Amino acid sequence: MVAAGVIVVVLLPFVPLVMWSLSDRWFYPELWPRQWGLRAWQYVFSTAGTQILGGLWQSVGVAATVSCISVGIGMPAGRALGLFDFRGKDLVAVVLILPVIVPPLCVAMGLHLWFIIIGLAGSFLGVVLVHLTFCLPYAVFVMWGIFSNYDPAYEEQARSLGAPAWKVLVRVTLPLTFPGIIVAGLFAFLLSWSQYLSTLIIGGGKVATLPILLFALMGSGDRPVAAAVSIVFVAPAMLALLFSARYLGGRSITGVR
Amino acid sequence: MTTDTANARGNARTRPNPGLLVIGRLVVPALAVVTLLFGGGLVLGLVQSLGYLPATGMQMFTLRHFAGVLSDPDFFYSLGLTFYIAATSTATAALISVAMALVLTSLARRQRVVHFIFQIPLTVPHLVIAVALVFMMAPTGLLSRAALKLGMINSSASFPLLINDSWAIGTLTAYVWKEVPFITLMILSVLRRTGMELLEVGKTLKASRRQRFFHITLPTIFPSLAAACLIVFAYTFGAFEVPFLLGQTYPMTLPVWAYKSYSDVDLMARPEGIAIGLIIAAVIIAAVVAAQLLTKAARHRGLVL
Amino acid sequence: MGDLKLQNITIDYDHTPVVHDFSLTVENGQMASLLGPSGAGKTTVLKAVAGLLQPRSGEIFIDGRLANGLPPEKRNAVMVFQKNLLFPFMNVEQNIGFGLRMQGRSNAEVHRRIEKILELTELTGLNRRKVHELSGGQQQRVSLARALVLQPAILLLDEPLSSLDATLRQQMRELIQDIQAQTRITTLFVTHDQAEALMMSQRVCLLLNGRIRQVGNPQELFYRPADPEVARFFGGCNFFEGQLKNGVYYSPFATVAAPELADNGQRLNATIRPEDILISVKGTQGLPGRVQKASFEGGTTRIWVQCQNRVFVVLAPRTDLCAGQNVRLHLPKDKIRIFPPGN
Repeated sequence: MVAAGVIVVVLLPFVPLVMWSLSDRWFYPELWPRQWGLRAWQYVFSTAGTQILGGLWQSVGVAATVSCISVGIGMPAGRALGLFDFRGKDLVAVVLILPVIVPPLCVAMGLHLWFIIIGLAGSFLGVVLVHLTFCLPYAVFVMWGIFSNYDPAYEEQARSLGAPAWKVLVRVTLPLTFPGIIVAGLFAFLLSWSQYLSTLIIGGGKVATLPILLFALMGSGDRPVAAAVSIVFVAPAMLALLFSARYLGGRSITGVR
Repeated sequence: MTTDTANARGNARTRPNPGLLVIGRLVVPALAVVTLLFGGGLVLGLVQSLGYLPATGMQMFTLRHFAGVLSDPDFFYSLGLTFYIAATSTATAALISVAMALVLTSLARRQRVVHFIFQIPLTVPHLVIAVALVFMMAPTGLLSRAALKLGMINSSASFPLLINDSWAIGTLTAYVWKEVPFITLMILSVLRRTGMELLEVGKTLKASRRQRFFHITLPTIFPSLAAACLIVFAYTFGAFEVPFLLGQTYPMTLPVWAYKSYSDVDLMARPEGIAIGLIIAAVIIAAVVAAQLLTKAARHRGLVL
Repeated sequence: MGDLKLQNITIDYDHTPVVHDFSLTVENGQMASLLGPSGAGKTTVLKAVAGLLQPRSGEIFIDGRLANGLPPEKRNAVMVFQKNLLFPFMNVEQNIGFGLRMQGRSNAEVHRRIEKILELTELTGLNRRKVHELSGGQQQRVSLARALVLQPAILLLDEPLSSLDATLRQQMRELIQDIQAQTRITTLFVTHDQAEALMMSQRVCLLLNGRIRQVGNPQELFYRPADPEVARFFGGCNFFEGQLKNGVYYSPFATVAAPELADNGQRLNATIRPEDILISVKGTQGLPGRVQKASFEGGTTRIWVQCQNRVFVVLAPRTDLCAGQNVRLHLPKDKIRIFPPGN
């Protein structure tokens, strides 16, 4: 009963998306499209292909870059927070929690002027930097959780068995924290992936990620194309979920927003 | 994340401090990025909202942008609307989530398909669910067509306004759909980790079903429930896409208004937009601080974990 | 106060039986222990008594009343878990008072009973302590107090001492014994530690692979094990074979009168505990043997002696033997346990 309810409620919103993306002619008040067709998908992949696929790559590029930097910088910080108690730890926690709760809108508007002056506005790097303000703290919190259940004695054991520091990192630390690294990277990726407003403000329309294109399409009123782009927009995130379900042993990706 | 802090302390406490140099090397990069970009963004925003805008030649320190926003008669409507949306969606999502968490724990773990489907909204961007709901709930949307077919209405005009409406039903629906799995999974991990064992203890100590819920389950999940709710509240209070697509055009929520002002052709409106953004940030931070104080008081009285 | 009676209990877990046809009676006021290696199904039995899981078949009587189908909160049995599982959001007093509050007892009564139980468990004055501020031993005592305060007919203890270190464990054993002697509460105690079972209880039930192997008082299990496996569980290591003839058991190592056993010439196994074998260097009496190795264990030395085609393990309080030495073994007739047929 409940299971069926969950499935219906979760999947229902996708029904109109799929139907509209596959309709060529569909007028109110018909419940089914008068004519099914692939016009929208042709538009997405050929007519406006360079633009929309370009947006897809732009989105992937930004999210992947943000995700890698977040994990790379977030992991050491998470390690320190998870393994040690030190003075000022609470302050560090507050500094990191603020970007998670304060909407990116405020930061993006503030940074915009500065980025114009130093030439980062409208650039790929500028968008990556503004996404980092909230993706990095998220990654740190995930790694904090991971390292609070991590026993560094494994590393000491490896060292005493004769492994040099870099091998300990590659052969011991990374494999032990791998699931956490994947989750942290996934969080950062998804957060950056679904970001609209801060990309718009800093990118100024020049960094045309998928959400920017989708918003523009919603304004133009072409429902079938907007539906098709929406599906393109959710697909990678779904793949990420499948991936995590497959490789993280069905563990739920608790904490993703 | 935040729920693991108690646990984290345990691990950290047993270990000697390796010295500020080691810790500094680990923490400083992340801290520097956040301080520079996030802190810098806020400070620069504050500076601009206080009247320093070299592009327009305005370089006078002034409070008039804040004053302008606060004295705008629409401000309190917007604040009220934003608060209504954030509070209602958070509370609704929290109630549904607690119920869902209880149902899911009683559901066999083997029903993985349900768990998988349940996680889908986590990965769907807010923008996409907003678009989907436009197609679903608009006067010419799928629901309206279905209702007409079933003879419940006789034209699109008699279909109730579900998006761009004054009760923000579309916006609330999008948020609840999106946030229920988030809150549920946060609660579920605690419930599975310790909650189940504590419930067994409660059973042998003669607590009834109802008593177990109020005296064991709620106090156990409270910290993660509160943390999740705070995050959801903060998000829904400061988010732009959903109210922009599904909300009414007047009054606007604060974030929509902030962006509208910021992107106005009139550059003079820009500092007001930033001022609204900072007011949003201030409200959220105040809410978080208040919640922390309340939690501390509750913990002091032994009501929660 | 009350007795506990389990009749032909079979319990499934994931459709495979983990406890087979289990029957046990614990008399009113008795302390019985359920002994077995980990995975034997001990905790499963305890949970079935507590009502946390349902047996597939069989009956459970608590205080003479059929308890099958009763939910845990309606049963007059309280379980203390292996992990102390104190409610982390409550202090000591709130934890102990939990069960009483659930029954809706008055404030005055709750306080009176908490104070009494705090004294009994030597926790006086710790009322307001937070759970995480307590030592491991204190936490375990709070957990015990939380169950005792309800004055259940049956107290179920699931290895409550296994998380404590050796000294603390000994203190807790004595405390539990004292409390049990004072309150005369019928107790079923689960442990994997044979010494603990022998010293703590009046009745021991040995469970191996989900089946009862032997029930009896501690001396019976220790000196008269029902079969070689039981003997092995209690540290037995010397087994040999012999044959019955005219009421006498003949083996290469000992000849024992066994009038109580059916006399049909069959071969039977026998055992002797390592500490019961006498060892000497001089003399011509006894079985000749040669020391293989000796290992000093403090109070005693464990000596492996090759004797004909067998190796006997001997525990003796002497330190002068070394490998290769010729010795004599003497197996006292009254210490030899001949296993009844069927083993």
